[in-house]
Amino acid sequence: MTHSLHRRGTYEELKDEYLLLVTIANGVNNSPDAKDKLRRVLDEMWDVGPVNTGSNETGTILSGVSVDEIKQGFTKVPRIRCCFDSKEKIREMLRRLIAMDLGVSVTISGSRSDVEELCREFGIKPHSVNLSLQVWGRTEKLPEEDIMKFITMCGHGLISRTLVEDTINKVKAGKMTPEQGAVRIGTPCVCGFFNPTRAVALLQKYVPAAGQN
Amino acid sequence: MIVDQNKCIGCGICTLYCPADAITIRLNAEGKRKAVIDQDTCLECGNCIRRRVVKCPADAIYELPEEERSIGRRMRRFFSDPSTTHPLTGVPGRGTEEVKTNDVTGRVCRGELGLCLELGRPVLGTDVREIQKATTALAELGVKLEDCNPLYDLLEDPVKGTFKEEFLDERFVSAIIEFTIPFERGEEVLNKVREIAEEVNTVFSLDMVCCYDEDGTIPALELCRNMGFEPRFNSKVNVGLGRPYVIDKEERDRRNAQ
Ligand code: SF4
Ligand code: SF4
Repeated sequence: MTHSLHRRGTYEELKDEYLLLVTIANGVNNSPDAKDKLRRVLDEMWDVGPVNTGSNETGTILSGVSVDEIKQGFTKVPRIRCCFDSKEKIREMLRRLIAMDLGVSVTISGSRSDVEELCREFGIKPHSVNLSLQVWGRTEKLPEEDIMKFITMCGHGLISRTLVEDTINKVKAGKMTPEQGAVRIGTPCVCGFFNPTRAVALLQKYVPAAGQN
Repeated sequence: MIVDQNKCIGCGICTLYCPADAITIRLNAEGKRKAVIDQDTCLECGNCIRRRVVKCPADAIYELPEEERSIGRRMRRFFSDPSTTHPLTGVPGRGTEEVKTNDVTGRVCRGELGLCLELGRPVLGTDVREIQKATTALAELGVKLEDCNPLYDLLEDPVKGTFKEEFLDERFVSAIIEFTIPFERGEEVLNKVREIAEEVNTVFSLDMVCCYDEDGTIPALELCRNMGFEPRFNSKVNVGLGRPYVIDKEERDRRNAQ
């Protein structure tokens, strides 16, 4: 599915956010060594330093799962999902993936022009793209854009509007720091695409000025 | 999901995490605060029973064993809880791997477009009647819906795009209508998508998969812009490292025929 797509925010807000998806295709290259290959990718990814990673089966590091648990939890069609918060990190990860030459599918979700630029830098040709053509239908029923920026960090739809609003109110009241708020809002995301760095930045504006509380 | 009324201490934590607003706190006959889950509204997303999410202090939330759950409730789970794997697709999630493995599956090759209408996403959710509005409209154009998608299992008539009666009132976090068309049909189908947007009583996220041309350009960009479907700057790019690599549809068809 398309759960890393359709994130709301401006280019400025999203330009440092890169989601990496390393995926084995069921029935095509699901070879007996697929799990081993992805364990190696997971080690490299962890070394590069994601801000979040996880799996649908185990949950995320943000919610307290360890990387070893994620590794142990690989299913027979293994996959890796993670979030980097800088172009330098995704560049380094892509460099390592190219060097490893494992023959597994690698997809990067982020600014299209920046990902294309990275491909040019490494001399590889991107295969295909999934374009977000926006949201249609009864859009007037959606929450305001500032709330949507948090909610759409989980493409599976697991972050509730109530949780985001309640967290913003707690930050406004000085009862929660943006860092605590980001972890709270990001906990329901099970795959590891929620970006706590961007969530902290978005919550900063609600912090009361000194002496206000 | 169900709340054990004897265990619940009425703390209200679970109400914050429910994306469907299905949980409310009510006073019982003894005046005690208790959480109650409205079964029509609950989409079975699993948030409230995940031990790392709600962390119910009384361990009061549970679900019936699989054999005691109706087929409708089990379907809600497949389309709402990403940790479940539908037997039809063999992969977790609500659709195919679309662009994620496209370099090896060749689901969408050069000269083709892959479209996904994810009904209910974001926030609003959808019932099957709304999905049917879209599938029947697309069926009028003779569009063949992706058969490796959990929705396919619920269809009464894949050619007409109608669903089995028993599923029509079921509600999901979202469901993905996926299909591949020849590039030349893009304009006609996007016009139909615009009509669907007027008809449905929910939202849908729209996306389009397309291969890069040899010179690194994306032919679909111009089509989308001309049709008023401006692509967002953030996209999902398959960087083409998978093997066996396929981008040419004749080659894909040859491979699939073997
Ligand atoms: S979290 Fe548990 S104890 Fe608290 S209201 Fe919900 S069901 Fe009751
Ligand atoms: S399973 Fe999901 S939709 Fe149902 S009550 Fe729990 S959190 Fe709400």
